[in-house]
Amino acid sequence: MKLLLLEDDEATRAHLERILVAAGHDVDVATNGHDAIAMGSGGDHALLVLDRMVPGIDGLGVLKALRAAGVQAPALFLTAMDGVHDRVEGLDAGGDDYLVKPFAAIEVVARVNALLRRQPAHDVSTVLRVGDLEVDLLQRRVSRAGSRIVLQPLEFKLLEYLMRHTGEIVTRSMLHENVWSFHFDPQTNIIESNMSRLRSKIDRGFGHEFIHTVRSKGYRFVAPS
Amino acid sequence: MLLVVVERSISRYAAAATEGGLRSEAAVLQDDDRDGGRDNLIKEIERHRRAGAEEAFHYQVADRDGTMLLNDTDERAAKLGKGTVAVHDGPGAAVENFESLGVPLTNGGVLVVATDTYDILELRNRLDWITILAGVGITVFALAGGYVTGGLFMRRLDRVNEAIGHVVAGNYAQRLPTIGISPEFDLLTTNCNVMLDRIAALMDGLRQVTTDIAHDLRTPLSRLRQQLEATLEAGDASQYEAGIENAIVQTDQILTIFRALLRIGTLEGGDGRQRFGTVDLSEVIGRVVAAHEPVAEDEGQTLIAEHQAGVTVAGDADLLAQMMTNLIDNAIRHTPVGTRIVSRLERTDSGIVASIADNGPGIPADKRENVLARFYRLDRSRNLPGAGLGMSLAAAIASLHHADMVLLDNGPGLLIQVTFPAAGA
Repeated sequence: MKLLLLEDDEATRAHLERILVAAGHDVDVATNGHDAIAMGSGGDHALLVLDRMVPGIDGLGVLKALRAAGVQAPALFLTAMDGVHDRVEGLDAGGDDYLVKPFAAIEVVARVNALLRRQPAHDVSTVLRVGDLEVDLLQRRVSRAGSRIVLQPLEFKLLEYLMRHTGEIVTRSMLHENVWSFHFDPQTNIIESNMSRLRSKIDRGFGHEFIHTVRSKGYRFVAPS
Repeated sequence: MLLVVVERSISRYAAAATEGGLRSEAAVLQDDDRDGGRDNLIKEIERHRRAGAEEAFHYQVADRDGTMLLNDTDERAAKLGKGTVAVHDGPGAAVENFESLGVPLTNGGVLVVATDTYDILELRNRLDWITILAGVGITVFALAGGYVTGGLFMRRLDRVNEAIGHVVAGNYAQRLPTIGISPEFDLLTTNCNVMLDRIAALMDGLRQVTTDIAHDLRTPLSRLRQQLEATLEAGDASQYEAGIENAIVQTDQILTIFRALLRIGTLEGGDGRQRFGTVDLSEVIGRVVAAHEPVAEDEGQTLIAEHQAGVTVAGDADLLAQMMTNLIDNAIRHTPVGTRIVSRLERTDSGIVASIADNGPGIPADKRENVLARFYRLDRSRNLPGAGLGMSLAAAIASLHHADMVLLDNGPGLLIQVTFPAAGA
């Protein structure tokens, strides 16, 4: 599984390459838009990591060109910190996720992994099962070891997101974006407060704890061994 | 130009009048000739000479063979048709050319009537003189007047330019004097002064912000530096690791401040309106409040939602969510255990009002405006985490949405009201 990385800043490029290689990925590196299009149009990359601001054709242009050439690989945009509309523009151009610079290594790895292991589109299962925990997405019912658990709508959404990423680290910003649709850092304890309520409902009083806190990184939903 | 046209018209009119006079005189005399012959004609001419002194016609009467029966001119022959004849008016007078008209008489005779064109010439000359004198007079008067008022204007303009020079040189308290002369000029200087007031306010703001940024970033940066120094002296690998992790957390906090500042700056520049769409404000605020209910509960407070459904505004959903988050965060952070926080959203006559009310300690009336300024923190909040940017950011987002954000007394507590212009307005 090779990744295509487009980044013109040398320090950032080296940093990203090191992070991604350490996470077990092969990385092809392009330093400008033309190279990225030439390298990516073969379609042999599983994921595109594109800096928006590069000389010549920028990241948006590269993705548009590659999408036009039939490249379906998910794309992660890297953006500068002040763009109010970078996210929307990136999504409009066919991007799947975006990350604001500067970012923590774990953030890149978590998002890359999430994009690579994304549920295939034909997965239409309506029930999620991890261990003895069962979530019926249509009935919006949750039960563990056969006993019904009542969740608030947002607790349900949080649980669904965690279960879909079982085994992976999900970062705070991934939770903000995907559970509450907050595309900014709320600076409040919404994750801690909501997570503790969810924990008390699905984990308290059972043998195995699904929700693990990964210090200074995020959370991981762990299946029983 | 106008004078030339007038002069031409007068000349033409005068020429036509002269010709008319000659024709009618000639016609009358032709009738006399026809009725009573040459003798009657001569007699009538004599009578005309006595009666019509002012007309001052000159005459020639000639027979078929050219014999002059009467001749007031210097010409030897009498010519038919329009022409000029030489006349010297009285003894010793210069010879002048008179306009003349020759008409046929009975038995092949010819009558020539001539008249002086002096009047017309004199009128023309006089008109020319008047024209020149008037032209010169007006020009001189205009120059003099222009010099006087221009001089006055220039002196006052100099004072204005001098004042502008002071402003350029850095005296931002300087204001422009009035120019006077006409209300338009006074309006100009008044408007310039209003502009200078605004610039001065902006400069103050800029200076304040620059100082604040420097001051408020110094604290976390100093802390980071101390942290790194302490880490350098760490005894073992685990302490070292913890120190580095701590330093990264602090760096992130500094970056968060930068990010908020950049965002405020971008929003205050009006960037963001181009992507405005219709936002379901009920959904956005509902989502923010739902996310914070457990947070308030953990703080021993109650967060209550009283929202009308289906309220929409033109805007950016992400930014509005951030604004509401900051307002609720502010209420949760700065009120004690047991506080009741109410989030309301309603359509009113004056627009769409989103508000956050609490029954906490409130903010003194004289400090409320300050809360919206960057980095402002009430003394009692200085020991709490945060950089004092949340409310500034919320205010910037409100202003981007043309919404009016006011802080009011909730008696007791604080009421923050954000009034959006009514949809479609």
